[in-house]
Amino acid sequence: MNILFVMDRWVDRGSIQAAANYVRAGEELGHTIALYGREDPRFPGIRFSTDLHAFDYVVFIIESGLRWMSGLRMPGILNTVPRERRVVFDADGMYNQMIAVDGYDRNHRDESGRAEWLAYYDLIADKILQPTVEPQEPRVVPLPFYGYDPTSQLGAAPVKRFDIVHVGHNWWRWREVSSCLLPAIERIRPLLGNICFVGSWWDAVPAVHDPDLEGAFCVDPERLRRLGIQTRAAVPYTEVVCAMSQGRVNIMTQRPLFRRLKLFTSKYFEAFCADTIPLVMLDPDHAESVYGSAGRELALNGGISDRLLDVLRHPERYQQIVQEVRKHLAIHHSYRVRMQQLVVALQAGRPLARARGQLIL
Amino acid sequence: MKLLFVSKLDRFVRAVNTITKYIETGKALGHEVAVFGEQSSEITSVPYSLDVDKFDFAIFVIYGPWDFPDLPYLARLLDGMPRGRRVIIDCNGRYNETIRVEHDFNHLEKLDGHQGWEWIEGFEAVSEKMLQPTLKPLRGDVRPFLFHAFDPAAVARPYRSPQEAAQAWSDRTNGAKPYGAVYVGNNWQRWSQIAPFLKALEPLKDQLGSIRLTGWDWDKRPDWAIEHGLKGVDVDPELLERLGVETTGAISFHEVIDLVGKGRFSPIFHRPLYNRLGLVTNRTFETFCADTIPLLMLPDDLVEPIYGSEALPLDPGADVAGRIKDMMRRPEVYWSAVLKTRAHLAEHHSYHQRFKELLTILES
Repeated sequence: MNILFVMDRWVDRGSIQAAANYVRAGEELGHTIALYGREDPRFPGIRFSTDLHAFDYVVFIIESGLRWMSGLRMPGILNTVPRERRVVFDADGMYNQMIAVDGYDRNHRDESGRAEWLAYYDLIADKILQPTVEPQEPRVVPLPFYGYDPTSQLGAAPVKRFDIVHVGHNWWRWREVSSCLLPAIERIRPLLGNICFVGSWWDAVPAVHDPDLEGAFCVDPERLRRLGIQTRAAVPYTEVVCAMSQGRVNIMTQRPLFRRLKLFTSKYFEAFCADTIPLVMLDPDHAESVYGSAGRELALNGGISDRLLDVLRHPERYQQIVQEVRKHLAIHHSYRVRMQQLVVALQAGRPLARARGQLIL
Repeated sequence: MKLLFVSKLDRFVRAVNTITKYIETGKALGHEVAVFGEQSSEITSVPYSLDVDKFDFAIFVIYGPWDFPDLPYLARLLDGMPRGRRVIIDCNGRYNETIRVEHDFNHLEKLDGHQGWEWIEGFEAVSEKMLQPTLKPLRGDVRPFLFHAFDPAAVARPYRSPQEAAQAWSDRTNGAKPYGAVYVGNNWQRWSQIAPFLKALEPLKDQLGSIRLTGWDWDKRPDWAIEHGLKGVDVDPELLERLGVETTGAISFHEVIDLVGKGRFSPIFHRPLYNRLGLVTNRTFETFCADTIPLLMLPDDLVEPIYGSEALPLDPGADVAGRIKDMMRRPEVYWSAVLKTRAHLAEHHSYHQRFKELLTILES
């Protein structure tokens, strides 16, 4: 099958890592996957194409914005690709009722904002995929989409520069980080070595942003400084695993909305490609459903200070757990598996049958 | 004829004045002109319509991607208007290979998210007829159409003679001209021309009077330019302070002629890209409606073809200070040039003229 992804392209955020993996996994399985556009040296490992006639399906990967689907870009695509060959991949759970988590993170600012999103979706396609196994809307086809690439697993990194690394942008994360993670670090700070947060907007709020998104970028750089937490700019998708490997421990956080909707992201799996011990701030049951039974022990859900110290003091024990998880991921969540799931989802006339709480395997 | 313009109107920038004039002129000539979209509460003088079927042609006036409607509306527009009855007026020269002049450009992905090829293919998906407001398009498949024009009825003070104009202009007792020079335009790819202009005026500071820059971001380099690492959105606050230049924010399009007329001189600059492509703007013509002496800070090969030979004295060439001194010493000579140029513009570049040119292109 030939599948063209159309997406807002960023080297350091969103689904670009997944796109590169689909290109590779597709090749292994005899499918042709490409991104809409022309060859671009900033995106190694990605095949590009503008030949809209050459693809069986066009998948619009829609994340946190709509404007990239501009009136300049869309007419050519919509004129050329029939509706039945177009699909929306709703990465951020926008195709839902309005959801606000604890009055903080939300999918839409109001009902008119939601109506605007849904109008886009309705015009683009009938089929909507979401990276969750528990979609809230009956029309949504569940598809985990993001996966694990056993071949990109990094061997031992040259130097462990940090005890703790967090890779991810400060986008709706501050409340959890400031109320759970930082207090835990504070309690044991003298016992920890270097700590680094890698990603955008940890050092300052961006100069240009929608005032409506104040909460999304909230940060207290002084508090991070007091705790001796270094901040580094976001890295391209090709360097994420390497950046993670500089830490003995990596902590994965997820914005509250995504946790509520149980939306998968690239980060669920990237840290397991790195030479590190990933700890995931997920509900243990959810962690187990993704990572297998061993994954429960990597879930950070209370007792964060103790767990961090335990991991740093007994790395061998946790490395064994990580190895168990990697085996599970290689079997159940590899991009080869994902590729097959994507093909099935595209060909299916109706949502894939699923058992609630279990991944489609 | 019923014409539907498609563009994002903003009271402070781009083609809002020009499109308003097409609406007025169309009405005067017995045509109907509207802008596609929901009625704007901000620009109430402009009629909007979503009733695409009612119109004969859709005319896309494009500066950036934002000028195309958002998707639900776009689909309605494209479904309702066949490609053969859509025309694009490409005001920024987007429908070209990528061109950079100094720090200026016709494509910049980091600013609007679109690569050069998308402009070519995107335009071709929408229309088969491309127009550019230049006399000399680079591409063979682009038709020259200046789009912007001169409105003789908008002239603030239509003097009967150069003497009358010079006398009124020289009278500094009535407070009508508090500024020596006024420039209205936003700080976007203009500093490389504004800075030497201001420096040239420095020795004349006492004779000339104060200078005013009106538009976005003249007080300091804006944060968004710093964040994106964009050059060409520069400013030198020290220079402005030394010269006593007053900077104020953008004004609405209907206030421009009055404000420009508060200055004895008003320079006309085109951004470097426009100079390369010979693109004209609303201000190319509108400045001649104001009660001021326009200074044509434009390429030589643009001045005469657009303004006529009588405008040549208004082109200061390399010696800006020398020419301004002479203008202050012999204003009648230069007001004669201004009045003759206004007559030339009224004859060759009026909105009536332009509207008819557009109809000819549409029907061709």
